[in-house]
Amino acid sequence: MYDINRAESAVTQQDIKISAKDVQVYYGDKHAIKDVNVEILDKTVTAFIGPSGCGKSTFLRCINRMNDTIPIARIEGKIALDGEDIYDRRVDPVQLRAKVGMVFQKPNPFPKSIYDNVAYGPRIHGLSRNKAELDEIVEKSLRGAALWNEVKDRLNEPGTGLSGGQQQRLCIARAVATAPEVLLMDEPCSALDPIATGQVEELIDQLRSEYSVVIVTHSMQQAARVSQKTAFFHLGNLVEYGETDDIFTKPQDSRTEAYISGRIG
Amino acid sequence: MTDLPMPQSGAMPAPKSSLMVADARTRRRNAAEKRFRLYGAGAIGIAMIALVVLLSSIISGGAGAFRQTYLSIPVALDAETLDPKGNRNLDEMSKVLTLSYGKVLDRAVEAAVASSGIEIAELAEKDIDNLVSKEASAHLRDRVLADPELVGQTVDVNVLVNGRIDGYFKGRVTMESAAADSNTSPQQLMLADALREQGVLVTRFNWDFITNPDASDQRPEAAGVGVAILGSFYMMLVVLLLAVPIGVAASIYLEEFAPKNRWTDVIEVNISNLAAVPSIVFGILGLAAFINFAGLPQSAPIVGGLVLTLMTLPTIIISTRAALKAVPPSIRDAALGVGASKMQSVFHHVLPLAMPGILTGTIIGLAQALGETAPLLLIGMVAFVREFPAAPPEGLFDPASALPVQVYNWTQRADPAFIERASGAIIVLLIFLFCMNLLAIFLRRRFERRW
Repeated sequence: MYDINRAESAVTQQDIKISAKDVQVYYGDKHAIKDVNVEILDKTVTAFIGPSGCGKSTFLRCINRMNDTIPIARIEGKIALDGEDIYDRRVDPVQLRAKVGMVFQKPNPFPKSIYDNVAYGPRIHGLSRNKAELDEIVEKSLRGAALWNEVKDRLNEPGTGLSGGQQQRLCIARAVATAPEVLLMDEPCSALDPIATGQVEELIDQLRSEYSVVIVTHSMQQAARVSQKTAFFHLGNLVEYGETDDIFTKPQDSRTEAYISGRIG
Repeated sequence: MTDLPMPQSGAMPAPKSSLMVADARTRRRNAAEKRFRLYGAGAIGIAMIALVVLLSSIISGGAGAFRQTYLSIPVALDAETLDPKGNRNLDEMSKVLTLSYGKVLDRAVEAAVASSGIEIAELAEKDIDNLVSKEASAHLRDRVLADPELVGQTVDVNVLVNGRIDGYFKGRVTMESAAADSNTSPQQLMLADALREQGVLVTRFNWDFITNPDASDQRPEAAGVGVAILGSFYMMLVVLLLAVPIGVAASIYLEEFAPKNRWTDVIEVNISNLAAVPSIVFGILGLAAFINFAGLPQSAPIVGGLVLTLMTLPTIIISTRAALKAVPPSIRDAALGVGASKMQSVFHHVLPLAMPGILTGTIIGLAQALGETAPLLLIGMVAFVREFPAAPPEGLFDPASALPVQVYNWTQRADPAFIERASGAIIVLLIFLFCMNLLAIFLRRRFERRW
């Protein structure tokens, strides 16, 4: 734990990007998320940690309304993005998801070329007026995802032909290409080897300068490495939320302490 | 660990089993596996033998339909008989009946036999006249009416010979059976043999079988599957245009958009049930709904196509839904995650990935429809149709036959020559089905992508 190169902890900007108030999520009869209140800051990496099944991924999927695709899921409470309630009737989830990008646990590139993978979002949102602009967006996104140098000569090859770590960075490039404000990452490194994990983590740290990044992870070391803020979930409750350093060095709650010292989880 | 019995030092260790000898349990398991492999190989063997027997019996029975014996003789088209007024006016010439052409043909055959110098004892004039098919004079009439200038000339024609003589060359008719047959005689067969040696009678590939319409009971040699192929083609057109879009759209809606509730459950169960409904029930439904209620014509490809559409829909829906279900949900998540709408995610990502499965299911459904007989019997497709239907769309309302129904129809006829025709029609049907399956495999390969 001590030799981990911790990310810069000082949070430079304190604007609240997402605020959740009394969020409850039910899957049918199961009460999956209980009374979650959290304020996620802009230009910060926030990590959600906790044992399996504690609801951290569920809560993450609430932020871009991906839970809407699960028919039995029901959400109560209020989640606001820049002060606007995203569960308001007038909000179109499709528009929301353009602002709140998502990277999934398993790399899931489209079975299309690398170029088309990245260009898909800008195309459907009409972010470019011509091919040159689209090329520019694709290059910028791939550079942003630290993948450009590896794929610039084979943009027309299928994205599924890349290695696991490259695929995940391609997915990040795809998410970045729609110019989101928030980037949600659901255990982005769980299917990757340590080297690819290191590359993705480095990337996450770079992304912090432009986006508010929320990352779900079951690796406490990863949370400590990449995040400035950490939220600990347990059995659907948000147990503790604070500066990453504080959570790992002087946890306030006994459950947090038990988890980070490896006694539960 | 400590409570495990440890061997005492000095004592012989308990005899350990050797890896060189299989123990009883392993032997039993291996024997079971070997037995299962044998059963499997046996099942495949039986299936292959059955297939070979089926195909060889059909091909040996039906190959004859693709070869036909023709008589090639010069025919003097006597102007006095065929154009009594002598003005080559089509309207007046068409008043001359097939009977007169028969007489012209009879004279030509008699002349040809006389000039060949063949002498056969007790050869009756009737035997000579009967050499050619009853259909031949009709063909000659069609040819003359298409080109009236031929009248008065002597033209070389290839006319169909009588089915019995054709059967004699194919081994179906023998001297013994001819002796007991009022339609032929041993003398006639001997004459045919002699004519064949002189090259007047020739056996060649029978395009007429593929292009001709059906013929009556007395003229098996003239019967063809032309109308049936066209009718089947029109029905497939209707099925393709109706069943595929409706079926695919219904499955996309049910699989991707419809709420999962009791109603969709009921619909799902009923679609599965419809797939298991006997096809003849769809025939009764078609008879009641399309002919009796909607008033569409009988024997028309449009009605057959509609009935087959109803029958094919469940197959297409089930296979399309299975193909859609097989697309990994991560692709849908990925599309939604970059802000695609539900419809964009389905049409840009899910559908292309499901395409090979959808195409395969659709083509198998179409192949099933192509081979379906029972419902078509009920809506009158079994009728004797000699007129070719017009080009679509009007042709869809003209009477037509269908390939499987034509097979059924021919197996009901008395003359054994029709058995050969039926097998020939089965070969044509199988070739079509084979081509469709080949297309399905080709499309599957073409559209298949990894993910």
